[in-house]
Amino acid sequence: MPKIETFECNVITPERTVLQCQARFVAFPAHDGEMGILPNRAPLVCRLGVGLLRIDAETEKHVLLIEGGFAQMARNRLTILAEQASRAGDIDAGEAARALADARQMQATDDASTQLKARAIQRARARQRFAAHAT
Amino acid sequence: MAKPRAIVKRRKTVRNIRKITRTMQLIATARFQAAFNRAMATKPYTRELAALVRALAQAAGDVQHPLMRTPETVRRCDLLIITSNRGLCGGYNTGILRCALAELEKLEREQVAVDVRMAGKKGAGYFRFLRRPLAESITHVGDPPRFEQVEPIANALMERFQKDETQAAYVAYMQFISAGQQRPVVMPLLPLAQEAETAEAPAEPAATRVTLQYEFSPEPRELLDELLPATVRTRLFQCFTDALVSEHTARMVAMKAATDAAGDMIRSLTQQYNRARQTQITMELLDIVGGANALA
Repeated sequence: MPKIETFECNVITPERTVLQCQARFVAFPAHDGEMGILPNRAPLVCRLGVGLLRIDAETEKHVLLIEGGFAQMARNRLTILAEQASRAGDIDAGEAARALADARQMQATDDASTQLKARAIQRARARQRFAAHAT
Repeated sequence: MAKPRAIVKRRKTVRNIRKITRTMQLIATARFQAAFNRAMATKPYTRELAALVRALAQAAGDVQHPLMRTPETVRRCDLLIITSNRGLCGGYNTGILRCALAELEKLEREQVAVDVRMAGKKGAGYFRFLRRPLAESITHVGDPPRFEQVEPIANALMERFQKDETQAAYVAYMQFISAGQQRPVVMPLLPLAQEAETAEAPAEPAATRVTLQYEFSPEPRELLDELLPATVRTRLFQCFTDALVSEHTARMVAMKAATDAAGDMIRSLTQQYNRARQTQITMELLDIVGGANALA
């Protein structure tokens, strides 16, 4: 049987290292759409969007919700720097719904605040979806 | 000489105090361990972020960013002072406040208007006592500090800096060097120093120094627009975690000293009590013997 190629994958938030494993495949939400990573990918630096990070590790699969950050692939080592990374159990559906309602109430008067509002809504929606998906 | 009864009472009080300080010492030790582990856990993020900035700087060449702009004259600046929310931690707050005040006075002599932003109740109380104004008092950063709590503070500092309302931002906090050594420092946060990146970078082995041709998405410049604020946020977050570790260490040391002092006090009180009791017995005996002699 041929040896299955893997690469090192780290998920790090400012507070701690969330996950460290050998992965066969990783898909993360880039700023402009989802991106998949296989072993020995060319060096890459990428901004992350909001969405699901899926990691196929050697024995198990991980799904995390990522809210912004950066990904770096270099020397067969993928580093995901996320400001927030939550597992399914961490998010409360009710709370996410409230956050969405709050985001909808936000005042948008100029470009910056419109962008801020859109981002807040996007985040809240992703959280809600993730919470629903988990249960 | 004090009455034996009064001494017994006092000894009891000291014993109770020792019980309390010992418990607080144990709690501080446990908290210190947790805070220390958390502070260590934040290091990888900072390290990787610095590595990213370096990779980008290599690709983008000369890095220019509003957050790095050094203004010619500083007219107004922010000074964020991180103190504790609770007391009984020895010279911890005094140390930071003394260091921060020295910096504050130095800046004022240079005709710089300083907005003091105070994290922690203790520092706020001290400034009230000094009758110095505070631009903002931050008490919501808890134990452990959460990134979401620190993020808005960093964002506010950066926003003012970018709007040219302030020309610099400093953070005064207790730097944690080791369990036996902490030092109050005033760290410049903005403008973002470029050298600091290289100073913090771990010495890479020469073999891995080969420049990689990265694929960037989006363009390096756009990435930097997000990366540098993230660096500032992380740096500030690290100040808070560091300060908390120092606080618990300071409390641990202070409570250990208090427990030891209480122990010494109990010993000397016991001695005093025994002496007083013996004196009393001797006096009573003398009385009895004197009385018996008078009758005989």
